[in-house]
Amino acid sequence: MKNLEELRQIRYKVKKNLQMRSGKHKVRIVVCMATCGIAAGARQTMNTLSDLIGKSDRDDVVITTSGCAGFCEQEPMIQIYIEDKEPVAYGKVDSKAAEEIFKKHILNGRIVERYLFSKGK
Amino acid sequence: MYNLRTHILLCYGGACISSGAESVKEAMDKAINEAGIQNEVDVITTGCMGTCELGPIMIVYPDGVFYQKVKPEDAEEIVQEHLLKGRVVKRLFYKKPKTEEMVGMFNDIDFFKLQKKTALRNCGIINPLDIEEYIASDGYMALGKALTEMTPCKVIEEIKGSGLRGRGGAGFPTGLKWELTAASGGKQKYVVCNADEGDPGAFMDRSILEGDPHSVMEAMMICGYAIGADQGYVYVRAEYPLAVERLSLAIEQAKKNELLGENIFGTGFNFDIEIRMGAGAFVCGEETALMRSIEGMRGEPRPKPPFPAQKGLFDCPTVLNNVETFANISYIILHGADDFASVGTEKSRGTKVFALAGDINNTGLIEIPIGMPLGTIIYDIGGGIPNNKKLKAVQIGGPSGGCIPVQHLNVPVDYESLQELGAIMGSGGLIVMDDDTCMVDLARYFMEFIQEESCGKCTPCRQGTRIMLDILTDICNGKGRMDDLDILEELSFQIKQTSLCGLGQTAPNPIIATLKYFREEYIEHIRDKKCRAGVCSKLVYAPCSNVCPASVNVPAYLAYTKEGNLKQALKVHLKTNPFPAVCGRVCPHQCEAKCRRNDIDSAVSIRSVKRFIAEEDYPECFPEKQNPNGIKIAVIGSGPSGLSNAYFLTMLGYDVTVFESEPKAGGMLTYAIPSYRLPNNIVEKEIQALCEYGVKIRTNTNVGRDISIDELREKEFKAFYIASGAWDSIMPSIEGIDNEKVMAGLDFLYKVNNEEKVSVGKEVVVIGGGNTAIDAARTAKRLGADVTIVYRRTREEMPAEIEEIKEAENEGIKIQLLQNIKSVKSINNKLEVEFVKMRLSEFDKSGRRKPVEIEASSFAKKIDLLILAIGQKPSLGTLFDKGLKKDMFAGGDVKTGPSTVVEAIGEAQRAAEAIDKYLTGGREEYPWNIMDPIEVDFDPEEEPVSHNRAKNILIPLKERKSFTEVEKTWNRETACKEADRCLRCEYKKEEEDI
Amino acid sequence: MECLCKEKELTDEQKYDQLKEFIDENRDKKGYLIPVLHKAQTIFGYLSSETRSFVAREMDIAISIVVGVVTFYSYFKLFPAGRHTITVCLGTACYVRGAKKILEALEKKLGIKIGETTEDRRFSLGAQRCLGACGLAPVIMIGKDIHGRMSAQKLDAIVEQYK
Repeated sequence: MKNLEELRQIRYKVKKNLQMRSGKHKVRIVVCMATCGIAAGARQTMNTLSDLIGKSDRDDVVITTSGCAGFCEQEPMIQIYIEDKEPVAYGKVDSKAAEEIFKKHILNGRIVERYLFSKGK
Repeated sequence: MYNLRTHILLCYGGACISSGAESVKEAMDKAINEAGIQNEVDVITTGCMGTCELGPIMIVYPDGVFYQKVKPEDAEEIVQEHLLKGRVVKRLFYKKPKTEEMVGMFNDIDFFKLQKKTALRNCGIINPLDIEEYIASDGYMALGKALTEMTPCKVIEEIKGSGLRGRGGAGFPTGLKWELTAASGGKQKYVVCNADEGDPGAFMDRSILEGDPHSVMEAMMICGYAIGADQGYVYVRAEYPLAVERLSLAIEQAKKNELLGENIFGTGFNFDIEIRMGAGAFVCGEETALMRSIEGMRGEPRPKPPFPAQKGLFDCPTVLNNVETFANISYIILHGADDFASVGTEKSRGTKVFALAGDINNTGLIEIPIGMPLGTIIYDIGGGIPNNKKLKAVQIGGPSGGCIPVQHLNVPVDYESLQELGAIMGSGGLIVMDDDTCMVDLARYFMEFIQEESCGKCTPCRQGTRIMLDILTDICNGKGRMDDLDILEELSFQIKQTSLCGLGQTAPNPIIATLKYFREEYIEHIRDKKCRAGVCSKLVYAPCSNVCPASVNVPAYLAYTKEGNLKQALKVHLKTNPFPAVCGRVCPHQCEAKCRRNDIDSAVSIRSVKRFIAEEDYPECFPEKQNPNGIKIAVIGSGPSGLSNAYFLTMLGYDVTVFESEPKAGGMLTYAIPSYRLPNNIVEKEIQALCEYGVKIRTNTNVGRDISIDELREKEFKAFYIASGAWDSIMPSIEGIDNEKVMAGLDFLYKVNNEEKVSVGKEVVVIGGGNTAIDAARTAKRLGADVTIVYRRTREEMPAEIEEIKEAENEGIKIQLLQNIKSVKSINNKLEVEFVKMRLSEFDKSGRRKPVEIEASSFAKKIDLLILAIGQKPSLGTLFDKGLKKDMFAGGDVKTGPSTVVEAIGEAQRAAEAIDKYLTGGREEYPWNIMDPIEVDFDPEEEPVSHNRAKNILIPLKERKSFTEVEKTWNRETACKEADRCLRCEYKKEEEDI
Repeated sequence: MECLCKEKELTDEQKYDQLKEFIDENRDKKGYLIPVLHKAQTIFGYLSSETRSFVAREMDIAISIVVGVVTFYSYFKLFPAGRHTITVCLGTACYVRGAKKILEALEKKLGIKIGETTEDRRFSLGAQRCLGACGLAPVIMIGKDIHGRMSAQKLDAIVEQYK
């Protein structure tokens, strides 16, 4: 490390890693990962979302999992919880859909009607 | 790496590792790999999270779910359920002590919630073995800021402005220390980190070095920059191998990243750090001794001045700070002095780390704003005292510190306040002690410690502590003398004044503090040859007998019962206590709380065995009376204390008459304790036996009213034992209390026991939380009322016996906590009672939180009868109107305040001895003090019998409408089998005496 | 401190070579006597009079100083220890939670007192003022392993793990 700038760069690179442990985040994406969800490709959906978060500038978005939501034909399902907003659930979210939802809804706050399953709790 | 969705932080602090964290890590990694989510989830090992008792522990992020006592076999479930399906594994949640309530979220646990982490900011959050994690949490940014934006002067200003004081014990202002060293001339200067954490009970330095080593290194460099040093030493205990290992690794990583070495950040600043291991000498925690040790010498201290700031390591100016002090530095540089100083008290800024240990539910490491009340630390963060035991004292500051007794729980924990009470902040070891700790033995322990660790250079410390240790050892062995206490005080003063270094100067502190707060215990050891905690083995026959106020030889009667020799069992009992049937029913059995069998499974059911042997025929089991001497003694009051005293004096050959103002003898036994607990015929039987033994009882005679003490003197009564009890109820001064529907608890019980008609109506409220309140409530219930007990504190503070409270609830009595009455008035033949809600505020002298009214929280309720059972006071009548003369003695409740039957019997023994001494000059030994050898075979090598504690037999709830006795006596088989569970703790004692 | 017990036992000569190498590497460091003694104890298990003389000679320090230092610090051992050293923590937290009973039980079980070694050289028994694991009090340390929440009952099973 030759100078302070170099330290800052390393810090920037690794900081996001630690953000998860602060317990503070604005957006929480819940991927349903029951047998039905996984069979329908939830794993792929989740990996796509993880990648997208990694590549974005955002460090306040986290992913967690949940069990079966009871609408197996809608799998893979995801729910998006944004601070101070009512939760939104999407159905049949494949990788492509995930990309679109991430871009529009998570980054820009616009609900993607095409995949919308329900709003509110 | 960025697509990780979950971080599992697994505590790799020393304590968790020894609880098996490494195998948990292995199992987690395996389960994660098997589930194929190794690219999504990472298990990160961190430094100590603080809750050592709960280890191994983990926190799952981003959820923040906290799992405790995780075992390798739990890994599969955590992965399958939590990580894959998002369903938390509830059985691994933290359970609140006492309430057993489950808490899943890390942030909701009181232990963490009340803390503020500055020095420990990264401990348990980052992986200490990964420098990148340290950098991610702003690591080395403070160094960068200092080197590029601040002059050395400015750095020192900032530290001074923060008000940071040395966390190693003495509390010297850190900024000032740096300034003095910076101002010293000379080319070579040093920075030394004192990690020779020697105080027993403190382990925060180890945790910081293990959990966040870079923060200490960064701070040492900042200090080096500020004072002009280029070399640092960390002096760490050899007993901390893990800390040495992690620190070495951190140094290596920092060097590799050019954060340590030459030309750091291209600023031309050089710094190197070397680790030096201690070698097991406590005195090396003292700064001058520590530096001698780094120099490779014997670690003997030298006089100051010169101070290390002028002449330190290798005779060069040196800053010496401890680990925790350094751990605060980067935070101050990054966030500013004001931010740091905004926490804490006027004179003690910031936070302090404490190691909570001893008899406390949540042991571990905590960091709190300085000035937090001691009671908050113990009860809110520490979760209180385990096993329903009572807090006795808190030892703060290790061998140089003192003990704070329970009456000072409100003390703000800061440097000055602790000093006022004779303790010191020290390095932050905070050891909680319950009443099983002997304070004399504790003082002896610390003196032994000091004696071993004294380096021997100066005489007061070397010889003085030796003498003090010898005296304390004698006292613990029952060979102390009263003037020993003066000698201890004198020596303490001398050693403090004349010792060379801090070790000696503070060595007497534990003695001074225990003498100040627990002098009574010293006196008991010397005068009564008694160790109330049951620790000093030479003074303790067996833990059960030791705690029994009447010193009943429990192992003996259990042993004879086991053999079926019930007569002999009863004989043993009657020697010390003439009320086995009564005590077999109402004794609070402290003996069982101390029973060593608790360590194996659960205590021997001593009380129930006692109850069984009381079925035997008394007269032939009473001890032989000594030759009658014809001297007449009058006992006033025929309660348990009066009758027992008469019994013991009769045993000694006196002619004793008991005067009782009521028509029946027995006092509280007859008139207060309800018959479902203690049937009248049982009391009558035992009193009848006493009469047959020779005790004379005159009922319906009130001494003071019907006959005066002077008149009795004229009738040749030579001594008077006043045991008139505590019958006067304390009534609160509230509006409307003079109402026929308001009764005192004792009056109510008296009336019912005396078979007077009492109408309770439908709704009864009993105020109070003691045994009288519970007795009144269960009695009212039996008379057909709906009963509610209202108590102003919480259940934990209720003085009544736990079993009684439980049975009351089983019988359908409601208990409303944190409420009190405010006023009372009559409305249409009903009583309207105004209640108010309470909350607990600061601690009172008894160590309990004081209940205070919550404003505007009052509510009214219509009831039929209000019973007030909030306290009783001695009933003296006109007895003492003519003053107390030499021939008058007092005992029982009238002296102690409301207490137990067995306590009253113990009082009676001591009074009998005092009366005998007064009348005849006393005798060598009193029968009740002799523990006869037990003539029952016992093989100490044999495994104890394995069967569990036998259950008490209670009659079904539906049969509890009348005053039939609730508990039934065991049969012979059950009792003998239970008695066989005794471990015979007295066994070795006899052997030694022979 | 590396553990050498699993390796093939080195000859004394090799051990002294190893120690000499360590001394040579650190010759320019100030006040390095104590680290050298630590190293020597790691290599030999204890500091015999021969080892002490060797250190004095190699470091050019008077033998009296070396002996003075060795005897000052309780960590340095003058006699060989057993294969496993059992250390009972007698820190305050452990003490108030019954460390004395555990020490008594160990003494009885092993038939030795503090500072002694069993005849079969399996165990040495020692005591420490604080192992810093107060949260798990009472604790004992066997080799480098800390065993917490000890009780006299648990001792047998734990001690048996060390052959």
